[in-house]
Amino acid sequence: MASSTRISSPTFAGITLALVAVLALAAGGVAQAQDEVRIDLEAGADRRIGILVESFVPAGDRAVARPKAVEADPILANDLENSTVFAVARAWDATGASAQGVTAVVNATLTVKGTAVTLSGRLSDFPARRLIAKSEYRGTTAELRRLVHRFADDIILQLTGESGVSQTQIAYVSKAAKSSELWVVDIDGHGARALTAFKAPITSPTWSPNRADVAFSSLRGAGWNIYAVPLRGGAARQLTRAGTLNIAPAWAPDGAEVAYVSNKDGNSEIYLARADGSAPRRLTSNRGIDTSPAWAAHGQQIAFASDRGGSVQVYVMDRDGGNQRRLITGFTYSDSPDWSPRGDRIAFVVRTGGGFDLYIANADGSNPRAVVTGGANENPRWSPDGRQIVFSSNRGGGRGLWITDLRGRSIRRLAVPGAVAANPAWSPRPAQSPGSTLGSAAAPNPGRTTP
Amino acid sequence: MNLHSRFASRAALALPLLAVLVLAGCSKNKEVAEAAPPPAPPVEAAPAPAPAPPPVEAAPVETAPSLQDQLRPVFFDYDAATLSSDAQATLDANGRLLLDNASVTVQIEGHCDERGTVEYNLSLGDRRAQSARDYLVRYGVPASRLSTVSYGEERPFATGSDESAWAQNRRAHFVVR
Repeated sequence: MASSTRISSPTFAGITLALVAVLALAAGGVAQAQDEVRIDLEAGADRRIGILVESFVPAGDRAVARPKAVEADPILANDLENSTVFAVARAWDATGASAQGVTAVVNATLTVKGTAVTLSGRLSDFPARRLIAKSEYRGTTAELRRLVHRFADDIILQLTGESGVSQTQIAYVSKAAKSSELWVVDIDGHGARALTAFKAPITSPTWSPNRADVAFSSLRGAGWNIYAVPLRGGAARQLTRAGTLNIAPAWAPDGAEVAYVSNKDGNSEIYLARADGSAPRRLTSNRGIDTSPAWAAHGQQIAFASDRGGSVQVYVMDRDGGNQRRLITGFTYSDSPDWSPRGDRIAFVVRTGGGFDLYIANADGSNPRAVVTGGANENPRWSPDGRQIVFSSNRGGGRGLWITDLRGRSIRRLAVPGAVAANPAWSPRPAQSPGSTLGSAAAPNPGRTTP
Repeated sequence: MNLHSRFASRAALALPLLAVLVLAGCSKNKEVAEAAPPPAPPVEAAPAPAPAPPPVEAAPVETAPSLQDQLRPVFFDYDAATLSSDAQATLDANGRLLLDNASVTVQIEGHCDERGTVEYNLSLGDRRAQSARDYLVRYGVPASRLSTVSYGEERPFATGSDESAWAQNRRAHFVVR
């Protein structure tokens, strides 16, 4: 491969973000890069990469292509802005007027013929405008958003070494007075839709690692049980039947098992069952409440919340229930653990007077830092690239979904339909993403289409 | 204390007795059963049954309060499922009603205030419902007549984010099935 990328993750300790991408220059039609275009991305931890997004150029059936191009402009700009990697200058508005701090430029042609769309994208350095990479994406006009999301994720991959999360979704619970439903929404707030029609209380969605299913708990009928519903639609499957309280499912990273909480033997304990709910094994055993299991990325440990010591605190155990011990210390009340995708950090909440603050600590519990404070900030869940955290909050009134970077400096509301949204869970990336780099060599990826 | 509130207090004390008589099919005190006043707001439980009030013009002429209306909720301290002496007194009254109405089954709902995470509160609500159920079983109510379910913080009785609302929401609520 002609390009190499060295990445040092931004650390929460405030150490300088050293992000150096060495990018290959591809002269059109030449298979191997002749020179290297080097964009030095080294900057302070809060510095975003300045990138200029130019308007899509319509081609083909221009009467159709022009409005589609205008439609595509903000999709791409928002994806790049929402990634937290870039500070976006939009060529079509005032932000594009100043090129200050811009080190890269994106432009693309959108060719429409009938319902067929071809997105031909280019990433160049700035101001020299030497080509860094280019690629093509083909689909239908109905798939325009997905084509643009893929382009955005490949730009992020090219400049950081890891794909973005523009193609991911958030599962959440939309609440009404006496019932709830499970919904999913794209992370840019588009395309919200219900996956259930339960008309019953619902909590705690968790994605299967292959992104095909969302498991959750619901009080449908006499007690709380775990269900799983296909993302593509269809009937929910009931995974548990024993006891009156089966909640807080957490799909294991290997997809084969689900950890969850049940009172089937008396009080709330954590169990591990096969993904279809069979063969549950009990992992905890004490008189306190054990709840909110969360898997470490390697699948060998489970963090959880327990009040066995008097107050609710975050604990950790091996996947077989062994070696149970306190993980988070120094707070009167800690809860809702969620491990980062790389396994190097853990997010959790700390109770304040009447609400919760969102914290991040190292995986061993050391160096806890407040990220979002004030109000009730709950249910933190990492993005699959580990750059952001979605949570539910009463910020700005009401009860809604919010997304923060790891420093709490960039916090945005994920606006969704309905009055109350809670219990978010960030989906994994779609399977086709890894490896589908924006062609850094001159060979654009011909015929690459979205499903 | 004005006339109205005195009447309400006395009526509240008399209600359980009235309803038990009515529900048990006893016809000895028919004249008072016909003129039951509306349910009074919750007051401190008092074991001594007061004499039934005479019919009053203001009282609607309707049936006696149902068993559902007489089963009073039990309230809990913050982040606790232990039963206070008040809670035990309420459960004693509920237990008597259930023993006197042997055909009735009841679901005990456990509820929490909004503080605490959704998942922890579901377990805490479960613990509260079980705590109330276990007391009633010791009191002599067959376990088979008592089911439990937790609503956590899903169904607050009082909206609002102050101690008054929170206190009303930390409860075990009885629902006749």
